[in-house]
Amino acid sequence: MRLLPFDYAIRNLGRSPRRLALVTGGSTLVSLLVLGSVAFARGLERSLAATGLETNALLIGSGSEESVERSELPASTADVLAASVDGLAVVAGITAVSPEIHVALPAVLAPRAGAAAATDAAPALFRGIEPQAFLVHPQVRLVAGRWPAPGADEIAASPGAIARLGGDASRGAATVTGTRTGTGTDAGVGIGTQVEVAGTPFAVSGLFEAPGTAMHAEFWMRLDRLAQLTQRTTRSCVVAALGDAELDDIDAFTASRLDLESIAMRESDYYARLGEFFAPIRLLVFVTAVLISTGGALGGVNAMYAAFSSRVREVGTLQALGFSRAAIAVSLVIESTVACVAGSLLACLLALAALDGIAIDFSMGSFGLAVDSTAIASAIAAGALLGVLGAVPAIARCLVLPIPAALRG
Amino acid sequence: MTPATTRTVPAAGDTRSFIRCTRLTKVYRKGDQEITPLRDLDLEIARGTTVSLMGPSGSGKTTLLNLLAGIDTATAGELWIGGNDLARMSRDALAAWRAREVGIIFQSYNLVPVLTAFENVELPLLLHPMSRRERAARVGHALATVGLADRAGHFPRQLSGGQEQRVAIARAIVADPPLLLADEPTGDLDRASAEMVLDLLGTLHRERGCTIVMVTHDPTAAARAQFQLHLDKGSLARIERGDGAERVP
Repeated sequence: MRLLPFDYAIRNLGRSPRRLALVTGGSTLVSLLVLGSVAFARGLERSLAATGLETNALLIGSGSEESVERSELPASTADVLAASVDGLAVVAGITAVSPEIHVALPAVLAPRAGAAAATDAAPALFRGIEPQAFLVHPQVRLVAGRWPAPGADEIAASPGAIARLGGDASRGAATVTGTRTGTGTDAGVGIGTQVEVAGTPFAVSGLFEAPGTAMHAEFWMRLDRLAQLTQRTTRSCVVAALGDAELDDIDAFTASRLDLESIAMRESDYYARLGEFFAPIRLLVFVTAVLISTGGALGGVNAMYAAFSSRVREVGTLQALGFSRAAIAVSLVIESTVACVAGSLLACLLALAALDGIAIDFSMGSFGLAVDSTAIASAIAAGALLGVLGAVPAIARCLVLPIPAALRG
Repeated sequence: MTPATTRTVPAAGDTRSFIRCTRLTKVYRKGDQEITPLRDLDLEIARGTTVSLMGPSGSGKTTLLNLLAGIDTATAGELWIGGNDLARMSRDALAAWRAREVGIIFQSYNLVPVLTAFENVELPLLLHPMSRRERAARVGHALATVGLADRAGHFPRQLSGGQEQRVAIARAIVADPPLLLADEPTGDLDRASAEMVLDLLGTLHRERGCTIVMVTHDPTAAARAQFQLHLDKGSLARIERGDGAERVP
């Protein structure tokens, strides 16, 4: 099959700047929405994958496999585990077994002097920990201040958790002027900032980061203080660094200690399962994106249809010269695809500039939209698909006519 | 109804017939109405002849030209051109045949606006296996033939109507087809440009010996052809020779 010159397809794009803008704009919208939904899914997936380590075992209450927040274990579980299983990781003489409480509590940034009072609290994730937590969660890094002291009403805050309350940890308490929508609160957060947790004031003693993980959106406090605050005697889970031990050893432990009513799994498996739990939400986001983008797609297809329909006589001439319908169709598809992929590339630039890393809150914390190579490839594929499929009605309109009718225009 | 009678151009019994129509009929439907623009036409045209098709609107001359160009198919009858039975050829085979055997000149030039004169003329050559250098040489020669070698880089919008039609003629002859078909080639041109185009077609006929069939309403243009075929209601009404002699069926 002899094709039309590539230049023909490219130069045709410049024939009507308005139509080109409509086609490219439609493709940009479609690609941006597809990219956003993929970035959402990828961000969630990456966050969960980064949070759970394969080298850690997670003990949670039987029947609570889908939510550590609903799990309850006896307070002694961590000590019994450390004493019962050989080979668990030991750092500086301390066995890397971390009992933890995970709970969502209402919290609000306390108003600073001269600022309007906050009127509503937002749910925030709190993790009660002991020092061993840092042995099993190496992703966490203190960037300012210190960890909460024993017996003090102190918490350590992550940037995501602060943002969740409408604050901004990046600029420090003295200079921050960010406000939370609807509250009028001066939301500067730094060392010493007061945060009301379930009505009790706590001071921020330190700022920590755990980039790319769900922990990047948590408040941490001492385990005993959180237990006291929530009036619970049990723990949510125990995280143990396996070291030389195997998961089978932990399984054997849970099987032998039926009184603890616990089950064990790799921490990575727990978060992978959590990812599956969120699959319907990812699907919903994708379907919503597709539904919204349908408008943009139809606009682009309509503009393409008009652009090609105005060239019916030209298409007839090319056929009369001897070009096959397939060759002409290929040229029109190239033209349409180039316009749509240009829109996709524009969408990628916009996404990299405006979407990448944007924090999304979810029940287990927050994650950043991940505009990665997969998301970009998806956006470009969506644009290319729109270009190919969108050209079909217009091509049919041009090529279905008998040549004499096409030549009459 | 005109009886089916074979008319041979230039002379009955000439065995060099290049185009042969036998009971050629075209029927199409428009709503509930059945229209027969061409009915049982028998005609032979010898190779290297120039023929003008004349007749009132609806007489079937454009339909006949479309059938000769292989861009329309007959409802009944036979159409042989250069030994090819067009009625039996597939759509793709017809496209390939057109690229090889036919040059078409349109009333409205039908140049591709986003391509330069050079690129427009080059289009038919893209359907032939040849090197870029050979294509460039042939396009240059075709443009020189129509006197537009210095306008090769111009886009159609930068050319006058007469120049556009000359580019269209260059496009029609660049692949050196044995059959040139022209549909009102001077219809949109002023007198001077029309004369120039007709002179050019005459020169091409003399120098290349191609067969030219031209639809026209213009008696002056028609008189340039060796034979004038007058169609009426889908049938051949009469044939006139260029020297004024007339044959009536």
